[in-house]
Amino acid sequence: MEALGQLIGGFETAFTWWNLLYCLIGVTVGMLVGVLPGLGPTTGTALLIPMTFGMEPVSAIIMLSGIYYGSMYGGTITSVLINTPGEAASVITCLDGHPLAKQGRAGVALGVAGIGSFIGGTISIIGLAFIGPALAELALKFGPPEFFALMIFGLIMVIGLMGRSLIRGLIAAFIGLILSLIGMDPVSGAVRFTFGEAHLMNGLDLVTVAMGLFGLSEILFGMENLQKLDKPGKVKGLLPRKEEWRPTLNAIGRGTGLGFFVGLIPGSNSVIPAILSYTLEKRIAKDPSRFGKGAIEGVAGPETANNSYCGAALIPLFTLGIPSSPTIAIILGAFIMHGLTPGPTLFQNNPDFVWAIIASMFIGNLILLIMNLPMAGMWAKIAAVPPKLLYPLILIISIIGAYTVSNSLWDVGVMFVFGIAGYIMKKLDIPMAPIVLTFVLSKLMENSLLQSIKMFDGNVLQLFARPISGTLLVLSLIVLCLSVIAEVKKKKAGFASDVEM
Amino acid sequence: MKRQNAGVWVGGIVVLFALVIFIQSFSLKYYTKFGPGPGLFPIWLSGILLLIGIAYIWHSFKKEVITWADILPKGREMGNVLSVIVAVAIFMLLVNVTGFIIASTVLLFILLRREYKWYTGLGISSGVSIVLFLVFKSFFTIPLPVNMFGW
Repeated sequence: MEALGQLIGGFETAFTWWNLLYCLIGVTVGMLVGVLPGLGPTTGTALLIPMTFGMEPVSAIIMLSGIYYGSMYGGTITSVLINTPGEAASVITCLDGHPLAKQGRAGVALGVAGIGSFIGGTISIIGLAFIGPALAELALKFGPPEFFALMIFGLIMVIGLMGRSLIRGLIAAFIGLILSLIGMDPVSGAVRFTFGEAHLMNGLDLVTVAMGLFGLSEILFGMENLQKLDKPGKVKGLLPRKEEWRPTLNAIGRGTGLGFFVGLIPGSNSVIPAILSYTLEKRIAKDPSRFGKGAIEGVAGPETANNSYCGAALIPLFTLGIPSSPTIAIILGAFIMHGLTPGPTLFQNNPDFVWAIIASMFIGNLILLIMNLPMAGMWAKIAAVPPKLLYPLILIISIIGAYTVSNSLWDVGVMFVFGIAGYIMKKLDIPMAPIVLTFVLSKLMENSLLQSIKMFDGNVLQLFARPISGTLLVLSLIVLCLSVIAEVKKKKAGFASDVEM
Repeated sequence: MKRQNAGVWVGGIVVLFALVIFIQSFSLKYYTKFGPGPGLFPIWLSGILLLIGIAYIWHSFKKEVITWADILPKGREMGNVLSVIVAVAIFMLLVNVTGFIIASTVLLFILLRREYKWYTGLGISSGVSIVLFLVFKSFFTIPLPVNMFGW
């Protein structure tokens, strides 16, 4: 009940005019990056971070998390109307959403997706509000060895689940880990790997690295295939037929549970619950042959699952301080920039802050529902901006975004280099999500490892002697071994390819 | 160049990067009298990356040969990609001298010229640059680079 009281307090903060405005800006930008192919939530959040420097921390995080969950709604629209997923998580929606649009039922597909997203999103935030504090309480008992083991586990899950090959994932992860060590080490004061370059004293900036890897590389990719997109059709009639309500609501219920559960696993991403939900719906359907030809459950389930995932994926961030995806990694960066430490102490030291964010997410989901149901057609028009105009515009805005990080061309140059590197890596199927994740985690990992070694007087194997860290490390080893076996047997189908969310 | 193995090249760069960091790490203290030092983590990380990089090169030689010709686009597509790279490079060279508006117009024009008639391209480029300049300067109060005339 304590949580309920605090939540009401949170609503008081979230309902101030300014915070409502920032929430509205956040979810609108989220919709926009969701709708526009080539601009993802990672780039969207990275672009807006420099503009939050002058804001209150609460308003800044309200806006940035709005982009995060808002983009999940936006991606659906293009999937249904023009068969082009604006966001990786909406790839599955194309399968049945676009056939529905061809039958003239685009409105129904969007309506069901909107309602499902709202239900999934809201329930997972309720979960966050009630599970979060308890989990944070538990995590307070964690020492450096436990945190180190937990981060290792998260990383292995990312590498094991993502991308086509283990070796490529490992390369990406270790490059990220090393890049983050550049600059002055705050613990020892030693200056590392700056090669005499003054700009490197403070290290590379997460925002510029992420904008290069995800933003510029996507622009290069998009410029390579400048194809014309289909004209979106008319949208009318938003609600399913009477007899369709029951199966739709059931699919939404299953999607919510599935998405929430997957969100709790560190290192997962939003494509996984969407695929799982689609498979589940198809398996339990009385007539599976309808799937792929416009089955309404095939839209409702996955769309609900990826939104439910979004709320749940914030739980590891709020309670453990560990990001599970690149976008959340950027939000973590924003926390730190605004002087907040995400992790178990957040609920204790800044309860007003946490509850205001949670409350704003309820409001944001409601705004998104309104934006999506009656206004879907308008968003579809935005998606019809020709790519030959869109990509140059995104490019110049990204350049300004990188420039504003420290008001110097240095950051534009860093973005440029990482953009080209990202383009080549994409071509070679080297995933980029692990780079950004390890880039954020590296310093935390180093600290917890060095503290552990000191605790154990240099005996690293003691990590296995503590129950929680030992279990996590053994689990990590098992996952690693399974990935190696899968790779050797060539059975790794790329469970979920490299995605931003 | 086109027939060369792209995986080997990228693996080579990774190995080189790891090697430089590995060697540099030895100039940092591995262990101090207060406990583990700033050199410990980087030595292990770069050492492991070195091994993974070598494994990747081997993999690219034996198991999965990907040449540059396989992954890089040709003709007009390649031109589009290169024009982005060239445009950004020119922008970075120009911007501190000419100011944001001219540099941004040049950048956009290089890209739009390929798809639009030159006057349409020039119109969009300069219009967008001026609007962006005004929006960021007055609305977000971000000091974009300017020329001697203040724009």
